[in-house]
Amino acid sequence: MARDTSKKKRPYFLKTLFFGAISLTSYILLFIHQDWITEHYTKGGYYAAYPIITAFYFSFIHGAFGSNLLSLLGLEAKQSKKK
Amino acid sequence: MRKLTAVVVLIFMVLSSASVALAGGGGPPKNFKKGIFLEVNRDAGTATFLPSDSEQPMILRLSEDLRADDVPLNNKVMVVIEEKEGQIYAKKAEIMFLNLTLSKFIALIVVGFIGGMLSGFIGSGGAFVLTPSMMSLGAPGAVAVASNMCHKFPKAMVGAYKRYKYGQADIKLGLVMAVSAIAGVQIGVNIQKAILKAWGNAGSNLYVSLVFVIVLVIVGIYVLYDAFRLAKRGTDESVSKLALKLQKIKIPPMMHFKTAGVTLSAWITIPVGLATGMLAATIAVGGFIGVPGMIYVVGASAIVASATELVIAFVMGFWGSLQWALSGLVDIRLTLLILSASLIGVQLGALGTTYVKDYVIKLVMAAVMLIVAVSRGAKVPVYLKELGMASISPATEDILNSVSFWALVTALGTAGIIISGAMIKGMKKARAEKAAFAEKEAPSHGKV
Repeated sequence: MARDTSKKKRPYFLKTLFFGAISLTSYILLFIHQDWITEHYTKGGYYAAYPIITAFYFSFIHGAFGSNLLSLLGLEAKQSKKK
Repeated sequence: MRKLTAVVVLIFMVLSSASVALAGGGGPPKNFKKGIFLEVNRDAGTATFLPSDSEQPMILRLSEDLRADDVPLNNKVMVVIEEKEGQIYAKKAEIMFLNLTLSKFIALIVVGFIGGMLSGFIGSGGAFVLTPSMMSLGAPGAVAVASNMCHKFPKAMVGAYKRYKYGQADIKLGLVMAVSAIAGVQIGVNIQKAILKAWGNAGSNLYVSLVFVIVLVIVGIYVLYDAFRLAKRGTDESVSKLALKLQKIKIPPMMHFKTAGVTLSAWITIPVGLATGMLAATIAVGGFIGVPGMIYVVGASAIVASATELVIAFVMGFWGSLQWALSGLVDIRLTLLILSASLIGVQLGALGTTYVKDYVIKLVMAAVMLIVAVSRGAKVPVYLKELGMASISPATEDILNSVSFWALVTALGTAGIIISGAMIKGMKKARAEKAAFAEKEAPSHGKV
């Protein structure tokens, strides 16, 4: 039984690690280069694409990390419900 | 045929909202400049300012509101300007990018997490406490609004995706509501502008607070009453009498919303969206009217309505973020710090809805609405004083301001506790049910 659970959780663990590593690296890069980033991201006009694309990028990477982390912790939606 | 009608209505609404947008404007402020103050000339009452979009420094005259000592030098600032008698006056100067200390870091992450959980659970929330929180940490108001807006759409996107996967979000209803809400925002902005012109800043604040308190108290009490009624009866959900009556109105174009299980005239759905947008423009929390509107007017369940609100929040948040980003006001560090926790919180809140009954969502929403109403209500005497209609001491004003801020924190805390409690209870019950089922399936197993 215990082996079953750990087998089930293995892909979640790897995915959490993978997306977590990318996300953490991205956050570290963001804060290392915060002066350049805050300056360029607030130029307005066409530069508006920077914050929008970055927000999308983090939502995919960090969102995937969060999803896998919750599954790894055993926090999953109730199976048989809702319309 | 039905699909074609829906598409035509959607295109019509997009075009009409775009034309209103062009005519009305709104969104980020326009009377400001970004740049760096190079030096201050105290005797002349002027300051040399280098705008970000130019290499040529300019001389700004300091207005009465901005003292020479308060001009931040050699830091990127946001300056509110006013042109008077051919001269440019600097009215207010705030440092654009706050210095992120460890405590600010942690504060943003904690608020982001609970705000995200609330969003995932009731479809909206978080914005009402995130913007004031960022401002109290030192971010200029416009930057706080912009950074919060830019965090709203990715969070709502992830939440909406999760709840769509659980079969709860009605994408079509969300899109129809969102497009009509964008038009509603423009109407709301124009009403605000007219009030600002007639009664000034304090008058506008008073108007916003009164709308906020009246709407939130009335709707909040009704939702609370409904939640208790359902909890007492133990039933899962019920369609309101008003929604049932409105569903009988068959004025074309009729729209069918599959997940919500409702067929309704566009003439009913669109006004709910418009009201959501108008309220969003006025009090910055459209979801507090959007979700009850979808429950009691459209006839969706609380679970479907709160999930669909996330679709609306995504569309509106994306549209709003674009406006604020074009003005260059998003501090992406703040956006991403909040997002780091809220992307996890929103998924936790979303999965939490699969463990609770419909009334728990209503209960959380009512509790948040009523406490937030207290927060805004506390500010009313302050605005009345600014308008010269009441007199209160500075000490009382300080107390009222902190009551207002801490009420928001209480709202978030209360929501966090109710959601976590309901979720843990639901999960335990589900596990017990699963274990009982497994035992039933294998009766001989483990028995002597």
